[in-house]
Amino acid sequence: MLLEQTQLAPSLAEEILGAARTAARAIPPAFPLDATVAVNPFLGQTDQDLATASARLARLAGAALTRPRAELASMVEAGEIAEEDLEAALLACSAPGRPADLVALRAQLRKPAPAVEALPTIADLAAAATGTDWPAIFSRSFGLWASGFFDRGQALWTPRPDQTAFAAWREWAINDLTPAIAGLRGFSVHVASTPDTAERAILRATSRLGLTAAAAETAFHQLLLSLGGWSMHARWQLWQAELEGRSDTTLTDLLAIRLVWDEALLAHCPSIGRDWRASVAAHAAPVVPTADHVLDCLLQDAAERAHQRMLANKLTGPAEASGRPKLQAAFCIDVRSEVLRRALEGQGEGIETLGFAGFFGLPVAHRPAGTDEVQAHLPALLSPSMTSTSHGKGDEEFALRIAARTKRAWGRFRQAAVSSFAFVEAAGLSYGGKLIGDSLVRTRKAPGQSPLPRIEGVMSADAKAATAAKILRAMSLTERYAPLVLLIGHGAQMTNNPHESAYQCGACCGQTGEVSARLVAAMLNDPETRAGLPGLGLVLPDDTLFVAGLHDTVTDTVTLFPEAVGPKEAEKLDQAEGWLGEAGRMARAERAQRLPGAKADALGRRAADWAEVRPEWGLAGCAAFIAAPGQVTAGRDLAGRAFLHSYDWTQDDGFGTLDLILTAPVVVGSWISLQYYGSTVAPELFGGGNKLIHNVLGGIGVVEGNGGRLRAGLPWQAVHDGERLIHQPLRLSVMIEAPIEAISAVLKKHEGVRQLFDNGWMHLLALSEGRVVARYRSGLAWEPWNGEARRPADAKAAA
Amino acid sequence: MTSLPLTAFAPAVLLLAAFFFLLRQGPRPGRLLLLANMAAAAGLALGLAGVVQLLLAGQQVLSLGGVAILRLNPVSATMILLVSFVGWVVVRYSSRYLDGEQREGRFHGLILAAVASVLVTVQAANLPVLILGFVMIGLLLRQLLLFYPERAEARRAATKFTGVWAAGDVSLVLASAILWITQGTLNFVALGATSELTPVAQLGIGLLVLASVLKTAALPTHGWVTEVMEAPTPVSALLHAGIINSGGVMLIMLAGLVQQSPGAMGVLVAIGGLTALFGALVMLTQSAVKTALAWSTIAQMGFMLLQCGLGLWPLALLHIVAHSLYKAHAFLSSGKAVREVNAIRKPGPVAVPSIAAVTRSFVLGLVLFAGVAAIFSVLGGHKSPQALALGTILVFGVSYLIAQGLADAAPAALTRRTVGASLATTIAYFAFQWVAQALWGSSLPAVPTAGPLEWALIVLAVSSFGLVAFAQALFPLWAHHPTTAGLRVHVANGFYLNALLDRFLGGFQLAHKQ
Repeated sequence: MLLEQTQLAPSLAEEILGAARTAARAIPPAFPLDATVAVNPFLGQTDQDLATASARLARLAGAALTRPRAELASMVEAGEIAEEDLEAALLACSAPGRPADLVALRAQLRKPAPAVEALPTIADLAAAATGTDWPAIFSRSFGLWASGFFDRGQALWTPRPDQTAFAAWREWAINDLTPAIAGLRGFSVHVASTPDTAERAILRATSRLGLTAAAAETAFHQLLLSLGGWSMHARWQLWQAELEGRSDTTLTDLLAIRLVWDEALLAHCPSIGRDWRASVAAHAAPVVPTADHVLDCLLQDAAERAHQRMLANKLTGPAEASGRPKLQAAFCIDVRSEVLRRALEGQGEGIETLGFAGFFGLPVAHRPAGTDEVQAHLPALLSPSMTSTSHGKGDEEFALRIAARTKRAWGRFRQAAVSSFAFVEAAGLSYGGKLIGDSLVRTRKAPGQSPLPRIEGVMSADAKAATAAKILRAMSLTERYAPLVLLIGHGAQMTNNPHESAYQCGACCGQTGEVSARLVAAMLNDPETRAGLPGLGLVLPDDTLFVAGLHDTVTDTVTLFPEAVGPKEAEKLDQAEGWLGEAGRMARAERAQRLPGAKADALGRRAADWAEVRPEWGLAGCAAFIAAPGQVTAGRDLAGRAFLHSYDWTQDDGFGTLDLILTAPVVVGSWISLQYYGSTVAPELFGGGNKLIHNVLGGIGVVEGNGGRLRAGLPWQAVHDGERLIHQPLRLSVMIEAPIEAISAVLKKHEGVRQLFDNGWMHLLALSEGRVVARYRSGLAWEPWNGEARRPADAKAAA
Repeated sequence: MTSLPLTAFAPAVLLLAAFFFLLRQGPRPGRLLLLANMAAAAGLALGLAGVVQLLLAGQQVLSLGGVAILRLNPVSATMILLVSFVGWVVVRYSSRYLDGEQREGRFHGLILAAVASVLVTVQAANLPVLILGFVMIGLLLRQLLLFYPERAEARRAATKFTGVWAAGDVSLVLASAILWITQGTLNFVALGATSELTPVAQLGIGLLVLASVLKTAALPTHGWVTEVMEAPTPVSALLHAGIINSGGVMLIMLAGLVQQSPGAMGVLVAIGGLTALFGALVMLTQSAVKTALAWSTIAQMGFMLLQCGLGLWPLALLHIVAHSLYKAHAFLSSGKAVREVNAIRKPGPVAVPSIAAVTRSFVLGLVLFAGVAAIFSVLGGHKSPQALALGTILVFGVSYLIAQGLADAAPAALTRRTVGASLATTIAYFAFQWVAQALWGSSLPAVPTAGPLEWALIVLAVSSFGLVAFAQALFPLWAHHPTTAGLRVHVANGFYLNALLDRFLGGFQLAHKQ
């Protein structure tokens, strides 16, 4: 009988395994916390619109993907969402089940949205039937195994390496008595009888659970979602493997594990069979948004339109620019740069700022001093093509490593079984001093000058010039060079914060921008580079000096890293440092108002305070991405909510740079904005949980409390100040100053990017002469700005 | 004789501050935060003042109606200073960490009151006051564990904690009743002076030991400690630094009495030693930083009970102080774990010592021990077999540090560093031992003369710790062997003791919503 059940027709087996692979792709990757970057939690749903994704995640996790309706309704009440926004959103909405007109919309607005409930899983049904909390027991047992399996150095005794996840788990579960003690008798025997490959285990379980091919995809997706961050971490392993041209089966292994559990629970509790068949039938039905989903998404769209209206009112045409600037400072496009850039530009005539992704276009992997390991310093979408290093001279490097290894040996002494007692007796008292120090010392010392990073290997003069030319063009920095050009990356100093890397530069893969800025500045100052640039059509004045810097986003101070400079350069630098100092003071004053308990002159304390859970707001509030010449946004108060990318389409032959902007920084921007969005509207599903009870696990992530589900995404404290949301969840409004045809041509070329706009994961608006002129509608169509209240006749007919 | 220990005011000051938070239990209590910090600082100042008073004016007792209530002696002064210091750190940390929480004010009030309760227990002059303190701690900690009452895991942890803690209280009440009947007093000084014990009184001591086992989460009652991470981090810091050791403090305060019962001492050695090895072993397998720290606490408390059982009272007190400071810091800074784990990977693979290298390191360690012990014996006088046994156990631990440097792949510079660190550790250990003896030796009973039972326990302890230490040094050679995979599963699950307790207490059932 067993054989009968496990034998599926080959075509059906292929369909089931295909559904498993599709479900795996529906999970977003979660990067480990030592180098984390924002990821779009809806990465697997970008082929659907928000309403459909809402319907899917409501079915699978009981999650809502929009703010509670009451909140949106109160925004309408307060006039934050105006009549015209509602009207425009209603006209733009073509989903079946949308309100017939504004009157109907307003009436529905007042009704509370019905509570969403997920389809019950076998574990849920078994819990209800037996009174035993099977989801919690699974989560605890699985979490204990997974924490060891994915551990990257916390525990001394980890499971033996070099096994697949499924094989490792099988070995674990055959020995683990916990399920049996909890009442699932014979679980170990059951596991021992499962096929020894994940695929066959999936097939056997699918057949025993009576999952049909039609139901499998969302049922699998649901099971993977129930693993929380564990499946997202496994998805990251797949992501990383594919970036390196390999593959990885960990994620489908996890699915197999979950299915083997459900198989055992169904056998343990056969009475739930009927309810489970109902769940299967519901899974087999197509995912269709309800009228409530449609309404909530419409309101969400209206809120975004209100924001766009406000933003458009600020963009009234470019400021005048003439003559040679005194200073050009290029910052990362990160929204946190906007405040400081505005303050710096206000320091006087001739100070210009630029925006560019903080890795400054250099696709580098870096080997810091003291290690052979490389860290990626470029957006997570890209693969590094060169390496750099900060290794010192032989004996310096050796001394550093011996010190690190001694520290590690001491750490193992502290952690190991018998020696931990000796450690406490001999060294425990010294922690009294550390307690005093950490409690009292409240100002972070500025970081010292670290060694200059350098590219590994030899780069020819031609290659240097070509790389430099590419970078300058991508920044639209092709003429009017100032005598001093600063390249300012960013980082955030903080202490005792597991999510530290989430505050670092996203374009540098969760590292600070220092290495990239210094490498690029050195390359642009290199005489060999300079000699080759005119031949590539770029003429730089001899007196133009590039200097790298690092913007600390906690304190808004900028540290410059000048290389050998003469007296004339020193004067320029002094002046620039003066401007930066004053700009920093203004930026602090502005930012401190938003930070609870902050004083503008004491932000340094937040960096050094080990009890600080909100050192700064990161990218909270981000809502817009503007790619246009600097003059378009110069002097406009964008409240630290916009990514600003310098782009001058008139300099962009063949629109190669436009292509780059739409496919790289815009996509990264959408990942960031949607991560904040997901962590805000669905914190249980896509948020990192409560920092106060975080328990760091294996060096890769956090769990809440004792263990269980790994939590990926942003902690609640990163989007909420205790009394109100600091991040207003809005999908990103991308504004690009370029001809509509050129933008359309790029979208036509890149299906994935087009999907993001077509399905409403971002909005796209075109600028001309610094003003919004057109809005992108799906299907490569545009409509004129301000004309949107009048719906095009064709759409009306279709409705 | 009555006098006024200044430290008696410390709990009062904290309780007064806690009272104000009753009025503002919500988020951002404003200036009350300043008040909380000032109260905590005042508590610490009073703790320091107590030390000065003790040095200048000698021991103090606060009596009411002729009954000693609170006392100031070298042991209580140490504990007051420790608790008020940890309290100050925790209150200061919390006032930033909890910022904006829905029930922020309530949290501060509870923490202040909890610190006050611990301060009462550590200076109690008799058993009823001690029990009062324990009951208050139990009630307050329960509320702190339920700071997020919507979390089912938190409710389970609170239930488990309350069960174990209350069982300890009941055991203490019974012990008090027996001692009241047999000894006619519940005053610590008077109890410590008794010499003749009836079998019934022995039972009373047994109940005291049971209470200390429950309060310090020794085997098999340890389960709740690994689950209290459901409360905000400062609660863990306070719990692991100030509360969980109170069972040991109680034993030390009653050392004179407990030592009268060789059976009780033997039980302490057995349970303590077993708990120490068990906890330390499980700790090795835990990948969540706070969970590993919790297992570490279980082990350290077991080790402290072992020290008590050997009659090394000053060392047990030293262990409590050192462990508290270390563990409070470890919890409060546990957010650094991501950075630390990353730093561990940076210098490349760990050099694995061979069996020969490990053997060499043990010989070297014992030589080191013999040398340093001889010097300190000359300085500090004769060492008891118990003290030497404990020293040997610790040196086994130090050998691990040497072994890491003796691995064939380790460069000479690393070897020099680890040997240097080992020497420093050994010297520090003996120096602190000497200081502990000087500070508290006169107010605690001397080590009992080792009889056959004591010798048997000593041999058992030294050999089992030695075996584990040797295995630990060879760890990389066997930890990933397929035959140990099953063992690892059982160890990582803490040999299922907690799961069995869950089953017994209904912890696997669907939690009822509050």
